[in-house]
Amino acid sequence: MIAIKVKKGYDFKNIAGQPALEAEKPGKPACVAALPEKIPFIKPRLRVEVGDSVKIGSVLFEDRRNPAVRFMSPGGGEIAQINFGPRRIIKEIVIRLAENEAQAEFDALSEKALEQIERDKLVAMLLDGGMWPLIKAFPFRDIADPAAVPPAIFVSLGAKEAFQPAPEVYLNGKKNLFGYGIKILQKLTQNVYAGAAADNPNVLKELRENITHVFKGAYPADDPGVLLYHIKQSSSENRSWYIAGQDVLLLAQFLMTGAYPVERTVAVGGTSAPKKKHFITRIGVPLAHLAPGVNGDVRFTAGGILRGYAASKDGYLGLYETSVTLLPESGEKELFGFARPGFEKPSYSRAFLSFFNTSALPANCNLHGDGRACINCGACAEVCPVDILPQFAFKCVLADEVEESLQHGLLDCVECGLCSYVCPSKVEVCTILKKAKAAYYKETGVK
Amino acid sequence: MRIIQNFFDSQRKHFVKGGKWEKYYPIFEATETFFFFPDHVTRTGPHIRDSLDLKRFMSLVILALMPPLFFGIYNAGCQSNLVSGMSPDFFPAFTRGLSIVMPLIIVSYTVGFFWEFLFAVVRKHSISEGFLVTGLLFPLTLPPTLPLWQAAVGISFGVVIGKEIFGGTGRNFLNPALTGRAFIFFAYPGKMSGDTVWTVMASVKAGAADAFSGATPLAVAAVTDAYGSTEAALTKAGFTFSTLFWGRHPGSIGETSAFLCLIGAILLMLLGIASCRIIIGGVLGVLSAGFLLNLAATENSLPFLSLNPAYHLVMGGFAFGITYMATDPVSAPGMNTAKWVYGFLIGSLTVFIRVLNPAYPEGVMLSILFMNVFAPLLDHIEIKAKLRKRIANV
Repeated sequence: MIAIKVKKGYDFKNIAGQPALEAEKPGKPACVAALPEKIPFIKPRLRVEVGDSVKIGSVLFEDRRNPAVRFMSPGGGEIAQINFGPRRIIKEIVIRLAENEAQAEFDALSEKALEQIERDKLVAMLLDGGMWPLIKAFPFRDIADPAAVPPAIFVSLGAKEAFQPAPEVYLNGKKNLFGYGIKILQKLTQNVYAGAAADNPNVLKELRENITHVFKGAYPADDPGVLLYHIKQSSSENRSWYIAGQDVLLLAQFLMTGAYPVERTVAVGGTSAPKKKHFITRIGVPLAHLAPGVNGDVRFTAGGILRGYAASKDGYLGLYETSVTLLPESGEKELFGFARPGFEKPSYSRAFLSFFNTSALPANCNLHGDGRACINCGACAEVCPVDILPQFAFKCVLADEVEESLQHGLLDCVECGLCSYVCPSKVEVCTILKKAKAAYYKETGVK
Repeated sequence: MRIIQNFFDSQRKHFVKGGKWEKYYPIFEATETFFFFPDHVTRTGPHIRDSLDLKRFMSLVILALMPPLFFGIYNAGCQSNLVSGMSPDFFPAFTRGLSIVMPLIIVSYTVGFFWEFLFAVVRKHSISEGFLVTGLLFPLTLPPTLPLWQAAVGISFGVVIGKEIFGGTGRNFLNPALTGRAFIFFAYPGKMSGDTVWTVMASVKAGAADAFSGATPLAVAAVTDAYGSTEAALTKAGFTFSTLFWGRHPGSIGETSAFLCLIGAILLMLLGIASCRIIIGGVLGVLSAGFLLNLAATENSLPFLSLNPAYHLVMGGFAFGITYMATDPVSAPGMNTAKWVYGFLIGSLTVFIRVLNPAYPEGVMLSILFMNVFAPLLDHIEIKAKLRKRIANV
């Protein structure tokens, strides 16, 4: 195991509402959904209509850019609704679950057969079973190109972001499955790297043979992009692929059983959540199923408070998201807010007395200020895990200096959101960089 | 609290789109956010944001300015009472000081905010908090006898030419308060030349303020004629090291006490508002330049060359300038090494200007403005060097 030290980043450990490590299995929800809108870059083509009956693992839609990339139904039953948004973007495909859900059948692959199978055949199996979209490619974080062979695949166990599922919970009793998943990835490329946090000795002990890198550092040290940035030797490695730890389990389960896997361990947290713990549930579960009876001004975020999206109360969890966080919106006005000592105001800076407060502090969705011009304080550069100088890079982007922003490492950006978080002028640095990346991708068509 | 809230809520309709004072919305916004933290919530990820905002940032600078401000008020009154033959006790001196300093501060804020409001209304953007600091820094750099109309002209120049014509806070490359001071310095040298300092003197007969002028420590040091006797000459003129350090001597309002500026500097560095690289770099710059001049000093050279470098730290406005002016993040460089260089050069240039240039007894203002101009270049060099080390990703 190689030790990696990530010096920059920021730990959100002192924010109240962390999910407990125990896991609960809630009952079966009435509906599940697939959310094509939340899968970046794809152009979905529907393959079902309202009223069709589907099995777990039947095709719901495919990507028009490459129809071989298909997305499967996370439930068996009947298509209840297909909801469109502005410009006919497909927002949700809702499936009403039947009592006994039918399973689509795929070929299983024993561990021995896996060793002998050719790479092309394996790729075809994964594409066929709708598992391919779980593998993503740097630097744009689009779904990997099935025709390419990546220089490396990074596996991220991912728990450094606040309120994400802890690896010891979702890996509990699945050590062999994880090992099998890593073998699948090794078929796809020679170099498979898996990183684990040094402060998590249980996981390190359990998965000893499958972990290649141990990192020390604060959020987002666990991000595969950060790992790539810290170990890459040449620019040929920039087009590596990555996959999340839970998705490795899905891959393994799929090939082992020949059934489309839908199990998901979801962390539910945040001060407004009724039960702050892990739930072993399924892909596409309704948010209200995990956090019932929440009223008032509460924001549901799916996929993390830093990178996730805000969902409505009656929304669903997407394919990639594994956490639901409920935080108060807090649109309150505070008298002389700027002059208060701020013993309970979480902050990266040392400008509040909360610096001395070690207990967990409540966070909310207030912007804590107003948009102002950048004053070049440099806080963003202090936290950027991949050494971008966000305060200069975002100005390059706004000035349309594409070349210069690329030199600044725009494509190394892991979209962690820390730069926007710490900014005292409330500049949307991360959004600006993210949009510039996506625009560059769409314009050049490079993969 | 409810009453204030209701007042703003009832007045809001006049200022929003379609209201009769729609154009003046920035003024309403600035006043309201002074009382209430705004209720805006995040619209895109990340969904949570840091509690620090610019209002907090700037109010902490103002907090750190309080020690030099209060001492400046007391000292201006005390010096005035001393030369007018009145009681130098604390209360009479402080009230006298208030009557000298407050008009300058009020003029600075009123005139400055007028320009800020005007530009905000015309450009339709919100009023930035940066001016709260500029408006207080500026009068503290002035001699107490400056006529109010000159202060008004100076702050106007600082805000309009130093900041607003470049696009407002965040886009200015010069420190606005120092730009304003530099303007008065060159336009009206009779009132602030740097070699004499003016103390307000109460004229017994007419009751109108008159003035008395005396040499500043820098001028005393510059005209010493015997080698190695500069410290003695300073002591003879009443400027011992400890007087200069504690600050009970005539000078510009905020600059006299190096001790209180040091407290401000420590506070700002602890809070993470001011860059310790700039401040420490500046002190190192002064000491090494002073030491270098010491090495060059001979019997035949300028006696000022042989002055103990520590004196440069406490004389004139260096302590005030390096703490509050040089650390303005907008006009300082953003890169870490560049900050060291920037601070170091401010310190050493200050000493070189003081000692080697007979035209300007004081060098802090000029060296900070000079380095403000070079800050983008320092950043550029460091960024280029840093980017060269990255593994290209295109």
